[in-house]
Amino acid sequence: MNRRILFFVMFMFMVSSVYALGVSPGRTTVDFKEGFQKDITFEIINSGDKDMKLLLTAQGELAPYVSIPSGTISVSASEHSKTLSYSINLPNNLEPGLRTADIFIVEVPEITETGSSVVLATLAVVTQLYVNVPYPGKFVEADLIIYDANQGGDVRLIFPVVSRGEFDLTDVRANVDIFNSVGDKVDSFNTQSIGVPSGARKEVVYDWKADVPIGNYRASASLVYDEGTIPLEAVFSVGSKELELQEITVNSFSLGEIVKLEMLVENKWSEKIVDAHISTKIKNDRGDIVSSFDSAAYDIDALSKQTFVSYWDTAGVRVGDYQTEVSINYGDKSSTKNLEFQVSENDLKVVGLGYVISTDEGGEGNSLMIILVVVIVLLVLINLLWFLLLRKRLSK
Amino acid sequence: MENIYKIDLVLIVVSLAVLIGVVGYINPLVVAPLDDYETSETEILFSIEKADVLLVDDNIDFTTPDEYSLEDGLKINLKPGKYYWKAVGVLESDVRTLTINSEIDLRLEFDGEGYSVVNAGNVRLNVDVYNGTELVDKVKVGINGETVVSGDKIVGSQDE
Repeated sequence: MNRRILFFVMFMFMVSSVYALGVSPGRTTVDFKEGFQKDITFEIINSGDKDMKLLLTAQGELAPYVSIPSGTISVSASEHSKTLSYSINLPNNLEPGLRTADIFIVEVPEITETGSSVVLATLAVVTQLYVNVPYPGKFVEADLIIYDANQGGDVRLIFPVVSRGEFDLTDVRANVDIFNSVGDKVDSFNTQSIGVPSGARKEVVYDWKADVPIGNYRASASLVYDEGTIPLEAVFSVGSKELELQEITVNSFSLGEIVKLEMLVENKWSEKIVDAHISTKIKNDRGDIVSSFDSAAYDIDALSKQTFVSYWDTAGVRVGDYQTEVSINYGDKSSTKNLEFQVSENDLKVVGLGYVISTDEGGEGNSLMIILVVVIVLLVLINLLWFLLLRKRLSK
Repeated sequence: MENIYKIDLVLIVVSLAVLIGVVGYINPLVVAPLDDYETSETEILFSIEKADVLLVDDNIDFTTPDEYSLEDGLKINLKPGKYYWKAVGVLESDVRTLTINSEIDLRLEFDGEGYSVVNAGNVRLNVDVYNGTELVDKVKVGINGETVVSGDKIVGSQDE
């Protein structure tokens, strides 16, 4: 009978227990140097606030060069975090490219007096060590990112360039051809040249004037560097986007209830836009829409801002990270922004836009500065006048 | 005659003093975050006075900065990484750096049949599930995401 009660108590303990373990940073990246030595600190997070015993092990190709604390490490319930370190002692040579090691932090299962474990599963987290070993000579990693623009505006082309070789890059530039949707070349240009030191990341940026019809375009680029070229390609759109989403405010959030979202939109066009509304689509990891809702329709005066109100019924929505598509629709046009909604029980974070939790009326500082500038100008004028008068008197 | 020169000198000194005062006044006053600030919190509060715009970029040349209008209590959500930022008003502030460290925070809850694994950190996780020494499942869990797994060893690491 007693054993049954004991088993029941243990089962209830297991059912109700939440096991938690964390580490920060999850990854440390360093650049390789011959015989490189370093102590790398990391923090173990006792997010369950309980007594723990931990073991550290290193795995991966760099594990032989990693020294970790030996034996078990005790973390008490009162310690929310504990700082530890491991040391790396790299050899004189390693294969070029990314070399790694994983440092495992493993929770040792607790053993009861009867000898049976009360933890059903072992929990472990990993802090990774990434070592970038330079390639011989010059070596480049590059990409092409393009930001859409309105007709007549500037389409921004960005080439992030990372110099992974042992030598600096002295001349990195791009030759770009722009093609329309039927494959006709509409423009060609060369970017300016930049230098990229070994191990550094820089960007080649070019603003292309979109004096072309509205539509989809393809940029075909050759990134030219000291010793070679890299072909890159990306598509972009030229369209008219006069309405811009500036911020999303949620005053109180409770998962499972209807949430009021206030979306501030700016009309950057010089005319009033009527009958605009916002459609919001919230997607899960697989891209399936889990919620969608529309705001009411609003009119926005030229060059002004308007708050659009939407209501989101979060019943059935789970805590998680959701890709969210917010489209402002007006006339036959639409302007879409891709954001991330980070949903927790009592909080909604919108990633991709800045937001304000309180605002202060400004203006006092500006007026004071104007007064100060006026005072300076007056003083300078008085000084000049004084000199002129002085000259006249002296000449007499 | 001597008095005139004295008065003129006073005027010049006062002009210069006021000019220095104005330059000091219009220089952005950056209170927080401190330079080289490191955190694993992804929501950063910026406290800046005498500036209109905050520029945040992942490269020191500010070739493609994210631009935020500065208002009192501006908070920005950033993903883990190293950032350069400066405030711009009549003048520009110095460039400061800000590092958001990735944080792995794995939580397990036993539901009677399997484990519910919750990613309470600030990066997407690779979760490897073992039975003994055999790898039986491999799942990715988004930030604040949750998944159910079965096994006796659960290992969480930062996704690419």
